[in-house]
Amino acid sequence: MPPATAIARRLLLFGLSAVATCATLPAWSAAAARGEDLLPAETPVHEAIDRYIEQRLSTSDVTPAPPADDANLLRRTMLDLVGRPPTAGEVKAYVASTDSDKRTQLVERLMASPAFVRHQTEELNALLMDGVRGDVREYLSTALRDGYGWNRIFRDLLLSGNDQDVERSAGQFLRSRADDLDKLANDASVIFFGVNVSCARCHDHPLVPEWTQEHFYGMKSFFSRTYENGDFVGERDYGFVSYKTVSGQSRDARLMFLTGAVADEPPVPEPSEEEQKQEKKQLEELKKNKQPPPPPAFSRRAQLVEVALRPGENRYFSRAIVNQMFARFLGRGLIEPLDQMHPENLPSHPELLDWLARDFVDHGYDLQRLMRGILLSRAYARSSRWDEEGSQPSRSLFAVGIVRPLTPRQYAMTLRLASTSPDQFPADISPEDLDRRMEGIENSARGLSDLFERPDRGFQVSVSEALVLSNDDRTERELLRDSGDSLLGKLKTIEDPSELIETAVWNVFGRPPSPDEVQVLTEYLAARQDRPAEARRDLIWALLASSECRFNY
Amino acid sequence: MPTPPTTPQRTTPPHRDSGLSRRDALRAGLAGAAAFASNMTVLNVLRSPALAEELKRGRKRVILLWLAGGASQLETWDPKPGRATGGPYRAIPTAVPGIHISELLPKLAQRIGHTSIIRSLNTRNGDHGGASVLMHLGRRDEPSLKYPDLGAMLARELARADSAVPDYVSFYTATEGRGNAVGRSGFLGAQYAPMFLTTDSKPNNLALPEGVSDLDHAQRGELRKLLSERFAQGRTSSTLASHNEAYARVRGLMASERLFDISDEPQSIRDMYGPTLFGEQTLIARRLIEAGTPFVKVSRAWWDSHGQNFETHLELATELDHVMSGLLDDLEQRGLLENTLVITLSEFGRTPAINPSLGRDHFASAWSATLSGCGVHGGSVYGKSDDDGQRVVDGEIGAAELFATIFQAVGIDHQKQYYVGSRPIPMTDPGTQPVNEVLA
Repeated sequence: MPPATAIARRLLLFGLSAVATCATLPAWSAAAARGEDLLPAETPVHEAIDRYIEQRLSTSDVTPAPPADDANLLRRTMLDLVGRPPTAGEVKAYVASTDSDKRTQLVERLMASPAFVRHQTEELNALLMDGVRGDVREYLSTALRDGYGWNRIFRDLLLSGNDQDVERSAGQFLRSRADDLDKLANDASVIFFGVNVSCARCHDHPLVPEWTQEHFYGMKSFFSRTYENGDFVGERDYGFVSYKTVSGQSRDARLMFLTGAVADEPPVPEPSEEEQKQEKKQLEELKKNKQPPPPPAFSRRAQLVEVALRPGENRYFSRAIVNQMFARFLGRGLIEPLDQMHPENLPSHPELLDWLARDFVDHGYDLQRLMRGILLSRAYARSSRWDEEGSQPSRSLFAVGIVRPLTPRQYAMTLRLASTSPDQFPADISPEDLDRRMEGIENSARGLSDLFERPDRGFQVSVSEALVLSNDDRTERELLRDSGDSLLGKLKTIEDPSELIETAVWNVFGRPPSPDEVQVLTEYLAARQDRPAEARRDLIWALLASSECRFNY
Repeated sequence: MPTPPTTPQRTTPPHRDSGLSRRDALRAGLAGAAAFASNMTVLNVLRSPALAEELKRGRKRVILLWLAGGASQLETWDPKPGRATGGPYRAIPTAVPGIHISELLPKLAQRIGHTSIIRSLNTRNGDHGGASVLMHLGRRDEPSLKYPDLGAMLARELARADSAVPDYVSFYTATEGRGNAVGRSGFLGAQYAPMFLTTDSKPNNLALPEGVSDLDHAQRGELRKLLSERFAQGRTSSTLASHNEAYARVRGLMASERLFDISDEPQSIRDMYGPTLFGEQTLIARRLIEAGTPFVKVSRAWWDSHGQNFETHLELATELDHVMSGLLDDLEQRGLLENTLVITLSEFGRTPAINPSLGRDHFASAWSATLSGCGVHGGSVYGKSDDDGQRVVDGEIGAAELFATIFQAVGIDHQKQYYVGSRPIPMTDPGTQPVNEVLA
């Protein structure tokens, strides 16, 4: 990036960052396509992230928040990678370690663990199967364990479907949507290309001159020959999407991708009525015998996979997942909203997005490499507290950690772990035993996680969630039960108030209580000496239901 | 009053943590909690004259009587006596000369002065699922965009910011058709999602959990709040703020549980609504809107009379006549009717043709809905179907126009825009016009 001119700098200081961004960037992605002006390809991923983000912080005259403390960063990292907070013992061990490389080792260790595969399977499944029935967990679990690239996952989800092995579970992506091809086309476009094209259904896209109805119906055409047959998904060799233009003309859609690239296809005659009858009969027969339908001679979906991954055309595919991961781990995408990655919507850090997308493609669409890079960056590690004078800097600067709501799985796991007695995790437990125990808690937390809503952009916590935590008997039963393995059971064995408070706060928040908390909680217990059991129960409830437990901060 | 179109980012002023003042604040908070906790359950919105006054001054409310399965327009609002499609029932004159409705609605005929009948809906969708969605969203559903339904939009536009009662309550306690029951806040967020009652007339999780005293419940809530406020220092996030706002509503909602208990009502009032479940839930709806809930939907199922249409309607239309008349009278006596809009609506109407099972089938080409009370030109009929009720011959409208009319009746600009990212979404599809003839 060339040094900002004096004028650009002044504009930036006035907060007109969008103007300045336009001025310093020639065009969307043009630089990336040529690989010019970007940091060298061999730059470590986390370093590239920090170089670009800090460059913009400095031109904006903003000093970022300091790094989060060790306990906080450990909690954040574990929630993101393995879907649970650390135990009190894990926090103490991590904080005590003086190894200067402990953060890198932590990330590597977590990413190599079975819990990583389990958690990422759930998170990716939620991304891919949001709002539809069925799941692709079995497939994703293999894909993540064996380190499949995102390109392969994309291909498998869009093309396999009928194989008898694990790939069959990948086919659920299509099977769940084959009865609504509009939804299939739009979901695929949003998930894999970061683009919601439905605005262009009735008219050319109002905000993006490059996008016309042809792009929408083109995207739809890639899926238009897909159909459901029993438990299988097939694709026909004929049929076109026709649509009405704004001026009322009727047109057959071409196989046009978002970049404008058009796939050629062999001309096909419409089958005669007799042939269609035959086909129908054959499909009924196959359905009855639980056999997959015959593959098409020419697959439109295969054309989509080919063109979307083709060098020169693959920027939508690579940028969408980079943006998605960035948003997941940093609370905000480089482009917002995530489904509006169109040429008129400029990224907050255009060169960083280009650099990451290039790196992603150059390294085999490696999700793990991308995650590792993001998690090891300084931007990821910043404190989420802004204690400086004045209002908090714009979120798009990534100057302060963004507080993120936990996903249902993370939240259920957090609540379950926090209400489990610390004695369940003795210091000398082996990593294998600990993981087994955690897997058991994950399974038992499923019912609880179904009670929570999956957070989307601009998520608001619902009153019904607050009512569940406040009054549902499930809360009493699962989180506040009095037994040998529960936190309440443990606290009942402790008489000394400071020890009790110390134990409770460590168990729920994974940090020592602050002096003011000690004072308030001591008074709370003292005022309820006539009913110590209820006092302990309600103290645990207040910690569990507090915001600190609800968010990744 | 409509709220501004965008939700402003809530900001907490940066706070310098000085140990002493913080401690004092925390302690004061706890002491305060104990002091007022005992008063919280006596919060009685019902008997608050101030609230009733405010409602009279202009805060608008809506009750939707949802006739699930598709009520027949011919046996209700648009009878065709003497025609081959007319069926056995007569049309009767109403309090307004020239307006006739089915003899199954004699009480409503006397009260037609509150009501505007729309006889010209052509909504082109005769499938229960799709049509229900259409008549709840006021537009075609779109796979990529989560549209909010009527209740969510009204809750958003009409609710008080500091409301202690639920903003959107929806009853659907019948089993028939519940799979198609629509209740979604879509892109407006969970804040406007319905409190959905599907098993009985009491909502879940409003009662104290077993073994927790009221005082302990209130005070642990206060402790939760103090801990959360401490956490929120220096952290700015509207999602974080929403967490504490959601909890802040818990005690108020618990106090509103008694709104769902009609044993508080004198027998004379209960008799106005009758002893049926539909009647009782409609009375609860009145209690809720009186206490400040902006939108309540009461569903009565199942009007889907493919066979025995006339027996079905004898039962259901007669019940509707009694319940809705009771509701209109009760609202009027309380001075609430001028600010409360009462809607009757289905997913579609029923075919003029009578099938061999003496039933009527799904029919979306020429059917009826009504608006009564707030903002409505009462004692009027809008639109006209042909002599056999086969098609609309005058004033044809669809779901969008009906929604625009509903919004206008309660003082909401139907063209108001919401924003989903950068995409503007008007409350009704662009170009939609309300039906001015229906409006006062």
